[in-house]
Amino acid sequence: MNDLVSIDLTVNGRPRTIEVPAHHTLLDALRDDLGLTGTKECCLVGECGACTVSLDGRIVDSCLVLAVEADGCAVTTVEGLAREGRLSPLQQAFLDHGAAQCGFCIPGQLMAAQDLLDRTARPTAPEIQEGLAGNLCRCAGYEQITEAVLAAAGEAER
Amino acid sequence: MRTFAYARPSTLAEAVALLATHGPEARVLAGGTDLVIRLRDGSARPSVVVDLKRIAELDPAIREADGRLVIPATAVMTDIAADERVRRRFTALAEAAIVVGSVQIRNRATLAGNVCNASPAADTAPALLVYDAAVVAAGPNGTRRIPIDGFFVRSGVTTLRPGELVTAVELPLPAGPLGATHVRRTRRRGHDLASVTLACSVDRAGTTRIAYGSVGPRPVLVIDDSGLLADPAAPDAARADLLDRMFADASPSPRSMRASPEYRLAMLRVLGARALRTAIERLAAGE
Amino acid sequence: MSARVGGSPNRAGGIGRVTGAQEYVADIRLADELHAKLVTVPCARARITGVDAAEALRVPGVHSVVTAADLPSPMPRFGPQFRDRPVLAVDEAKYHGDPVAVVLADTRDAAEAAAGLVRVGYEELPAVTTIAAALDPGAPLVQDPSIRPDDAFAHTNVVREHRVGWGDVDAVAADLVVDHVYTFPMVTHFAIEPHAYIAAPDGDGIAVWSTIQHPNWLQKVLAGVTGLPLAKVRVYAPDPGGGFGGKQHAKYEPLVALLALRAGRPVRLVLTLEETFQAVRRAASEVRVRTGFRSDGTIAFQDIAADYLIGAYVDIADRVVSKGSYLGAGPYRMPAARIVARPILSHTVPSTAFRGFGNPQVNWAVESNLDEGASLLGLDRLDIRLRNLARKGEAFIPWDTPADGDWQQTVRRAAELIGWDTPAAPGHGRGIAIGIKSGPTTGLSYSTVRLLADGSVVVYAGTSDMGQGARTVLAQIAGDELGAPMDWVTVVMGDTAVVPYDQQTSASRSTVLMGNSVLSACREIQGKVRAMAARVYGVDEATIRVDRGVVQLPDREVAIRDVLGPGLGRLGGELVGNGEMRKDAEPGHPLGGAPAFFEFNCTAVEATVDEDTGDVTLVRHVTVSDVGKAINPLQVRMQDEGAAIQGLGHTLMEHYIFDDAGRIRNLGAIDYRIPTSMDLPLEMVSEIVENADGPGPYGAKGMSEGALLCVSAAVAAAVRDATGVVIRDLPLTPERVWRALRERDREAAVAEAVKHEEPVS
Repeated sequence: MNDLVSIDLTVNGRPRTIEVPAHHTLLDALRDDLGLTGTKECCLVGECGACTVSLDGRIVDSCLVLAVEADGCAVTTVEGLAREGRLSPLQQAFLDHGAAQCGFCIPGQLMAAQDLLDRTARPTAPEIQEGLAGNLCRCAGYEQITEAVLAAAGEAER
Repeated sequence: MRTFAYARPSTLAEAVALLATHGPEARVLAGGTDLVIRLRDGSARPSVVVDLKRIAELDPAIREADGRLVIPATAVMTDIAADERVRRRFTALAEAAIVVGSVQIRNRATLAGNVCNASPAADTAPALLVYDAAVVAAGPNGTRRIPIDGFFVRSGVTTLRPGELVTAVELPLPAGPLGATHVRRTRRRGHDLASVTLACSVDRAGTTRIAYGSVGPRPVLVIDDSGLLADPAAPDAARADLLDRMFADASPSPRSMRASPEYRLAMLRVLGARALRTAIERLAAGE
Repeated sequence: MSARVGGSPNRAGGIGRVTGAQEYVADIRLADELHAKLVTVPCARARITGVDAAEALRVPGVHSVVTAADLPSPMPRFGPQFRDRPVLAVDEAKYHGDPVAVVLADTRDAAEAAAGLVRVGYEELPAVTTIAAALDPGAPLVQDPSIRPDDAFAHTNVVREHRVGWGDVDAVAADLVVDHVYTFPMVTHFAIEPHAYIAAPDGDGIAVWSTIQHPNWLQKVLAGVTGLPLAKVRVYAPDPGGGFGGKQHAKYEPLVALLALRAGRPVRLVLTLEETFQAVRRAASEVRVRTGFRSDGTIAFQDIAADYLIGAYVDIADRVVSKGSYLGAGPYRMPAARIVARPILSHTVPSTAFRGFGNPQVNWAVESNLDEGASLLGLDRLDIRLRNLARKGEAFIPWDTPADGDWQQTVRRAAELIGWDTPAAPGHGRGIAIGIKSGPTTGLSYSTVRLLADGSVVVYAGTSDMGQGARTVLAQIAGDELGAPMDWVTVVMGDTAVVPYDQQTSASRSTVLMGNSVLSACREIQGKVRAMAARVYGVDEATIRVDRGVVQLPDREVAIRDVLGPGLGRLGGELVGNGEMRKDAEPGHPLGGAPAFFEFNCTAVEATVDEDTGDVTLVRHVTVSDVGKAINPLQVRMQDEGAAIQGLGHTLMEHYIFDDAGRIRNLGAIDYRIPTSMDLPLEMVSEIVENADGPGPYGAKGMSEGALLCVSAAVAAAVRDATGVVIRDLPLTPERVWRALRERDREAAVAEAVKHEEPVS
């Protein structure tokens, strides 16, 4: 019943070709077809941000993007943040500042935070809170997440 | 999610033809932030989804043409809110675009999509009404412009004809300086659907335009050209009185989970007065 | 990185959490899985008249549609307190979301599509979804009386009446009695990880993966339902993505296990967020408090009647009510108290454990009533609390564990941090409240620690780390005691075939109970090291001390690691220690045991209120907890601040909304609002009190729930202080505050009018 569509996309720098049904989301494709389970599924209505990935340089809720829409696009997921086994400065800051508790929201938080830092080198705390407002954390580690982003911004400047 | 076919036309003609072929079975996909939710919950069950994002004529770049600012159907809220022309000349729209969901949502959600869903709570609708925007629709019989006030019917229903799709929203560049703002009420400070959403503009001639949504089946535009509202020296009571009359058509649904009709009506007045104050201040400051 | 206790090394398991490598249940894939989708009916209560699966079965890839008739008869039932919950609803669906059938298919798509095609014949039945309706003498019974045949309450919707108290409330004299009713809404856990379950036949047994907090308890439940011995039920419990109590007890694991055994294939069920709303929630409550005061502000009595609206199956809710109300009178001394608490069944989602475990509901009422008394008596709200607060060692509940901390210190610190003695800015209001909760009353935690030949350490502990950081704390204890840095310690959890028994991960117990267990395992190893060192260095064992990673010989110190090489010799090997921490039941105690410790917190907030809109802004939120000793201060801060913000959720915005049919209207993330990063207090200040006076390792007490307990009362008090309005129903939504403000204005206008009329009349 599912007509498959072949799509080409670059995921974390690697060209991939997969066949997906039109009604599958980018989130489905990443988790089920590419085995990239770092991107998480929770609300499926674009409210929680657990499925946040970067699509052609902009963060999106991958639960609201059809996989076919990503055809020809470059996708970065949480798995693409570390380089050659080394944590990115932002990941290290999350670790050092206790930003991750249960950790389930953290891939999305990291993607949103990295996007913010890419756009705003030295964000203020309110800017961080606005930039990450689309990423719910029920452990409510918001204070630590904000501190981690501030620290990572400072690190990048040094 | 139910299955459907996915079409990615590369020309407008192709898109229009697809809509003609599939009729009500086709749904147009721009940003997808509403449509994908509806595809998943089953409230939209198209057999084909027509994606506008690769249509050559629908380049998302915002442009000026013939005294109008043209916001293509593929332009997303992030870019609209960041556009210098929008921020300067259509402040209320920029302010509305920046509160549509999270960064992730604004990176996908389009103005055209927001308008076509015709949600009474759509945050950009009041601003578009205040700025007298027009919706550009392409269909089998060519292109037409629909004044925004004649576009909304009720939730999910517009005057778009079968087979038509919105290619752009156009805003006439204001002739003179305007003071304008957008304000809203939500259940929390983080992103949320509005329980009242309102935009207001004031010009040097003393005309005040106020548009409000989420308090009735469609957003409503009201205009005061008596000069009273725009007059900073007008007595508060007189102004409040006039605002009350201007809001007389508000009819919030008692079924809403977000707020009671009583609260919404009261907040409409609060927001109206606050927005008016800001608009007057901005006009005076020459923004 | 040093594992020293009292330091804050990075979270054990942290790297996986920031790289996406951490594997949660939904990330696990087994070969040949069947995807399950639950089928429910759209009303609160219905008689199921038939299930027509014909159309669903025609969907390609559908394996089967299972109903109660396909499962063992009589239907196996389970539940931590009563065996009242069927694996799948039989004949009657008892709440909106109670599954009546389940579709199994090769793909998720097929399962979802087919679930929508299962035709359930049902007849809607009268339902009770409120306390008043459930208590009506004519109310339909939620629970079949045969579930508890000899129970006096079996023919009512009341599960039990929990009575506790001392003195004679009716005889104690009081100068002022303050009598009010306070309500608390139904709220849900909203863990960002939706509950997920996988079951697979495993040789002659079964393996079950679950987002469960209590793997050993689940193992027992599954053994009961399947008839398998414990040793043939293997529960894998990967670190949950947030639990908050909602993942303590079995929900759909028995169903998934029976389906897997029936199909002979792995079965996977991952709930949607909406389905989690229909699986777990906190009990709503209506609490009437009569507080007797003497004119000097001392409390004469507390007379508390707490009704909790629980769901259609008891789950652990009866315990939530008894334990949650037990400390209802608070940490204060008083000659008399009477607490009557009732769990009341209804046709709603079964309520379960949720951070605070029944305490926040009563705390909201009792702490707010204290403010009411202070106001009427013209006393300061801080003073009235300090005046009545139990001193350390004082038995504030006559028969029970005395006050186990310097609570005055905590309260004074919170007051200081909010600037209680300085006037608030115009328009600003302040509130202060105290929260207290019983720690675990019984417990049993085994652990095994292996000190490997190179000095690295493996800890086996059955605790679940759902974000609270148990893995890190246990690693720190073992690393510190055995002299290993953090990255030389591995903590193995979440596999009942490998890890020894732990009763449960709840009641903020793990640092204390499992911590002590791991500490005792380390002590056993230290004893072996001592014997080894005596042999290696040829000195009398009695002259050697081993502690905190170090072997103290009569003339020098040696690292434990350095003794291992010569000590273990050519064959290598390792040293193994087993730990046990037991807190036995006390049959005479109203809770079955005295609390191991109290969680004690004082919260003080400063707020402003928008008089036009009712918006509450928290300018400053101070939370101070007595934790005894912070094993990891950063994690303590994270837990306290997270608890505080979670408390702001039910205080300011969260609540289920029902329609007339008892259906939840705001299912899902769009219309059920929880705090985002933009909903925080403008300033959050968290501090701890450490007097090393707890029963855990190094004097630690449990923590993690304390900072949530009294948030509501503190915030409402600040709103009252800022505006003069008293609100006794949560949440304090802008609309609710606005209504109270308008009511205040109306009353003031009436009073003004009356004043002007008086001379005339």
